[in-house]
Amino acid sequence: MLKQIEGSHAVAECVAMCRPNVISAYPITPQTHIVEDLSMIVGQGKLDAEFINVESEFAAASVVLGASAAGARAYSATSSQGLLLMCEVIYCIAGMRLPIVLTCANRAISAPLSIWNDQQDSMALRDAGWIQLHAEDNQEAADLHIQAFKIAEQTSLPVMVCMDGFILTHAYEPVDIPEPKQVDHFLPPYAPKNIVDPRSPKGIGLFADPRFYLETRYILHRAMEKSEETIKAVSADFAKTFGRNSGGFIKTYKLEDANLVIVSMGSVVGTIKELIDQMEEEGKKVGLVQICSYRPFPRHEIYNVLKDKMNIVVLEKSVSLGRGGILASDVRWSFPRAEKRDRNISSFIAGLGGRNIPMDDLRYMVEKVEKEPVELEFLGLKKELISGKDL
Amino acid sequence: MEQSAEELNKIEKKDLFTSGHRACGGCGQALAARLVADASGENTIACVATGCLEVFSSPYPDPSWRIPFLHSLFENAAAVASGVEAAYKALNKGPINIIAQGGDGSTADIGFQCISGMFERGHNVLYVCYDNEAYMNTGVQRSSFTPLGARTSTTPMGNKTRKKNMPLLAADHGIPYVATATVDDFRDLQRKVKTALSIEGSKYIHILAPCPLGWGHHGELTVKICRLAKDTGLFPIYEIINGKVTNVGKIRTKLPVEEYLKLQGRFKHLFKKGRPSPEVAEIQEIANQNIERFNL
Amino acid sequence: MEKLPLGLVIDLQQVVPYKTGSWRTLLPVNIMQTPPCTHACPAGNDIRGFLRVLAEKEDYKEAWHVLTRTNPLPATCGRVCPHPCEAGCNRRDFDSSVAINNSERCVGDYGLEHNLEHKKLVSGRNEKIAVVGSGPAGLSCAFHLAKRGFKVKIFEASGEPGGWMRYGIPPYRLPNYILKQEIDKILRLGIELECNVKVGVNIPLDQLTREYNAVFLGVGAQKGLGIDVPGKDAENVYTGVDFLKQVNSGKWMEIGKDAVVIGGGNTAMDCARVSKRLGANVSVVYRRTRMEMPAITAEIDEAMEERIMFRYHTNPVKLVTDEGRVVGILSVQMELKEPDASGRARPVPITGSEAFIPADTVIMATGQAVDYDGIDVQTVDSQWMYTNEHLMTSMEGVFAGGDAVVGLETVALAIGQGARAASAIEDYIEGNIESSLAQPPVIYSRDLNTYYYQKQKPFTKEAVSIHTRLKNFREIYPSFDTKDIIEESKRCFSCGLCFHCNNCYMYCPDNAVKMSSSTGGFEFDLDFCKGCGLCAKECPCHYIQMTLEK
Repeated sequence: MLKQIEGSHAVAECVAMCRPNVISAYPITPQTHIVEDLSMIVGQGKLDAEFINVESEFAAASVVLGASAAGARAYSATSSQGLLLMCEVIYCIAGMRLPIVLTCANRAISAPLSIWNDQQDSMALRDAGWIQLHAEDNQEAADLHIQAFKIAEQTSLPVMVCMDGFILTHAYEPVDIPEPKQVDHFLPPYAPKNIVDPRSPKGIGLFADPRFYLETRYILHRAMEKSEETIKAVSADFAKTFGRNSGGFIKTYKLEDANLVIVSMGSVVGTIKELIDQMEEEGKKVGLVQICSYRPFPRHEIYNVLKDKMNIVVLEKSVSLGRGGILASDVRWSFPRAEKRDRNISSFIAGLGGRNIPMDDLRYMVEKVEKEPVELEFLGLKKELISGKDL
Repeated sequence: MEQSAEELNKIEKKDLFTSGHRACGGCGQALAARLVADASGENTIACVATGCLEVFSSPYPDPSWRIPFLHSLFENAAAVASGVEAAYKALNKGPINIIAQGGDGSTADIGFQCISGMFERGHNVLYVCYDNEAYMNTGVQRSSFTPLGARTSTTPMGNKTRKKNMPLLAADHGIPYVATATVDDFRDLQRKVKTALSIEGSKYIHILAPCPLGWGHHGELTVKICRLAKDTGLFPIYEIINGKVTNVGKIRTKLPVEEYLKLQGRFKHLFKKGRPSPEVAEIQEIANQNIERFNL
Repeated sequence: MEKLPLGLVIDLQQVVPYKTGSWRTLLPVNIMQTPPCTHACPAGNDIRGFLRVLAEKEDYKEAWHVLTRTNPLPATCGRVCPHPCEAGCNRRDFDSSVAINNSERCVGDYGLEHNLEHKKLVSGRNEKIAVVGSGPAGLSCAFHLAKRGFKVKIFEASGEPGGWMRYGIPPYRLPNYILKQEIDKILRLGIELECNVKVGVNIPLDQLTREYNAVFLGVGAQKGLGIDVPGKDAENVYTGVDFLKQVNSGKWMEIGKDAVVIGGGNTAMDCARVSKRLGANVSVVYRRTRMEMPAITAEIDEAMEERIMFRYHTNPVKLVTDEGRVVGILSVQMELKEPDASGRARPVPITGSEAFIPADTVIMATGQAVDYDGIDVQTVDSQWMYTNEHLMTSMEGVFAGGDAVVGLETVALAIGQGARAASAIEDYIEGNIESSLAQPPVIYSRDLNTYYYQKQKPFTKEAVSIHTRLKNFREIYPSFDTKDIIEESKRCFSCGLCFHCNNCYMYCPDNAVKMSSSTGGFEFDLDFCKGCGLCAKECPCHYIQMTLEK
């Protein structure tokens, strides 16, 4: 049913329809509305689940770890500082192959303190062994959660659904909320593979000495790579059941004749699409590759769609301090060495700490890279705020 | 569920925490974990924090647990156990005994947050703390349970602070059952575990588990040292049921703290040339206060 | 190696445990040791054995069978033995000894009340053994030989069997019916008994050596020796032996108003207390002090309770007679100087200290000797019989034991000697070199871990009042409550032998102590034992000890 609804509410309703058994969360802006809604849904008896108000994000992640290991479908949501606080547990959950779904309402990381959106938080945990899916808009955010449980339970890999904080979480957009019956049809009940159960005693979370640890990491890496099939299959299945394309590996927009391709992910994609439409009217051919699954990284897909494109610019809301653009690195790596030489792959960092990305800045970016490649540039940098010696 | 006095006092040996673990010979924690697992029985899930216990008992491919165990991190045994309990509630499974286990660090220092949250929310979980009075697994560093005067690798001149009183802190959360126990009286320890598991709500048991390596004594003295800890008053034995201190373990023959300190290498520096240093008097004072406070 | 499971999750029922036994440098072993009670017991009784049966199984029948393996006269010994076992008992260093003697009596009495019978171990051997004397040595020897299947015949000089137990020990210490029942049980193993035949007089000894494969002499020391003073041949002067034999044969002796007993041994005490019961005022004359008296302490104490007067430092010089009857003793006071050959202080008379003690009867309980009439064996210093280390006398195939060999000792020692002789006789007949088992080392209280025990008061027997005692010859200690004795038996520390306290079983951090289905005790799983030593340290009875791993 189509509703004009805040992003958080949409996510909450869809998560509730997935029938999690245990929800545990600690409040942090801008995820708060999601967990408040869920607590109301549980409190009103509309969802039969245990809602645990924990004392920190670390505890929240630990509680869902325990719950999932005991056979429950478990969910939590967090952001920024909270995600970093639960970092230890995030790695643990992946190593234990527990199919937990976590919403990350992307937000900047302190210090300095910022409650506004960028993607540094989920980027910090990109190596942990979680599938990371990025939503373009509220509809996709809601849909991805439904897909996430299915993907997680089929691959035995935890899934982090990333949605831009405030921009998506607190924005009101029309969202088609599915019917519970449809969700039930799409997402069968959780059938856990390994649980702690006295009837069949198992040890979960063992101590691996150097003889075994390397192999466990290899297995996890391969599982991440192979999850590509599942991510694509579930997205296709979703399209069949609910009648719209959501999720998947990557999406492209007006790529066919593009001379310049912008690669990006998250809500900024919406603005980029509008820019592309405007530029098309002006006669410029610009295309977009929108990354939905950031981990596993869609290396081959990117190569395949971009192998004939010689001018690429990567726009991201994250930075690896001391190195440069993270997504840009990943994109550059998608091309074999020989094919990099004549290709321009420019890297732009934008929107950190919730900085607005106006259309003018995007135009500036496009015009700049049409002339020459840009190694690294912070889009919209206010040079007047920076003293000479730091410049 | 109520159990008769006879059932509570029966000693349990079920081999649920069995041979093959890599603990040092005479390890107090291994003994305590064995007694706790047997007292709890097969219908148990153990959530184990990182520490000596986890490291020696759960290596791949031959852990020594025979009840299902779940381990994640150093500080979150209580939170993980809360999650397991929530799952059982949500899935309408059970009844089940859920025991979260950790050493001093995982209980009182880095894990204090999680255990406090678990107690405050009142999850139906028994938390067992194996108190060996330092971070033993990482090499005998000082923790908040290290007693006054003890030498550890990070307090080589002797610890200057007093032991944190975790049982009373636990009781002040309003949980229905708190107890202290030692590994020398296995009947008492198992009875307390069984009593705890029959009560609905969060429970806390604090067990003194001597560490031969860290405390500097022969493995065969583990049981004797527990007795001395009790008989000098340094480790009071009691239960706190619904906030009231009861069932205090009376001291049979009161002994001066020197008897306990002299057996351990970590207190050797307090007896230079056979004469006790002033700290020993302070330690005796702590013992006297315990005796008075708990009427030992 | 197996493929790694998903998430490294392991099925705990499929685990093959890691063998930590390879870490060990010390090894726990079960070492049975001899408890000091058995070590001190002249009969070598398995005291720990019967007490633990009472404590753990509360089974008097089994306890009786354990005890009668070595001691066929438990009800007797439980009344007359001076119990050196209790002096050795390790519990003495904790609170007080276990009341072993009383327990023995209770078990013995149970055997009598419930008609328990001895069992043969082997049957159908053809060799015949002659046993001379049916005192404790002879009965014990016959008992052990009969159990091993030999044909045994006892020759007893007196009218009834029992030796000194029958004719020497008075009935208020050892009632006749108790002794008779115990002897009958022994005889029911198929032992022949012929009374009123004195070997050496009625039958020559060499007839026995010809007709039997071996002979055992348990003739005791039943010849009373008096002191050589004027008047010793008077009518109412008796040796201790003669006096007791007559009383114990049922004869009522008229001994008058005042009786004086000379001597300080058990016979003297018996004579004094018998005389008291016969109605006389009794005093005991002894030339040294109480400290030097060889009698059992309890006997002296009870005699004093019964208001018998003790005249120490007093020596008779002459028995004053009138018309062939003694009317009193002329005695002199002694002072004690440096020790003499016996190791006791040498008494020297004080001149001018003569005194007259009136007496209607004088009993000289001043020594006993072996009656060698017709028995021609070599002696030691013309006193006791010579035997070699196999208890064989100077005559081939003739063995001896008991008072005749060791001097005036206890029933328990005679029983022990009889048992040793039976073993030696069996070896002699079979032509074996004496097979003796090495006894395990003795365990003393310093090696015990007594933390697990609480101090308790022992069982003490209560005598009937003095007034009641002196009226008759009945036992002065009435029978004990079997439940009290079971409680007392639980005080036994089981020194040196496992009594299933479960300490080792519960204390092993590595779960390496297992219940043994074969022994009923505990054994060590050496695949996993790390040799930490907790089991040995916490074993209350020191049964577990740590040794070096090879």
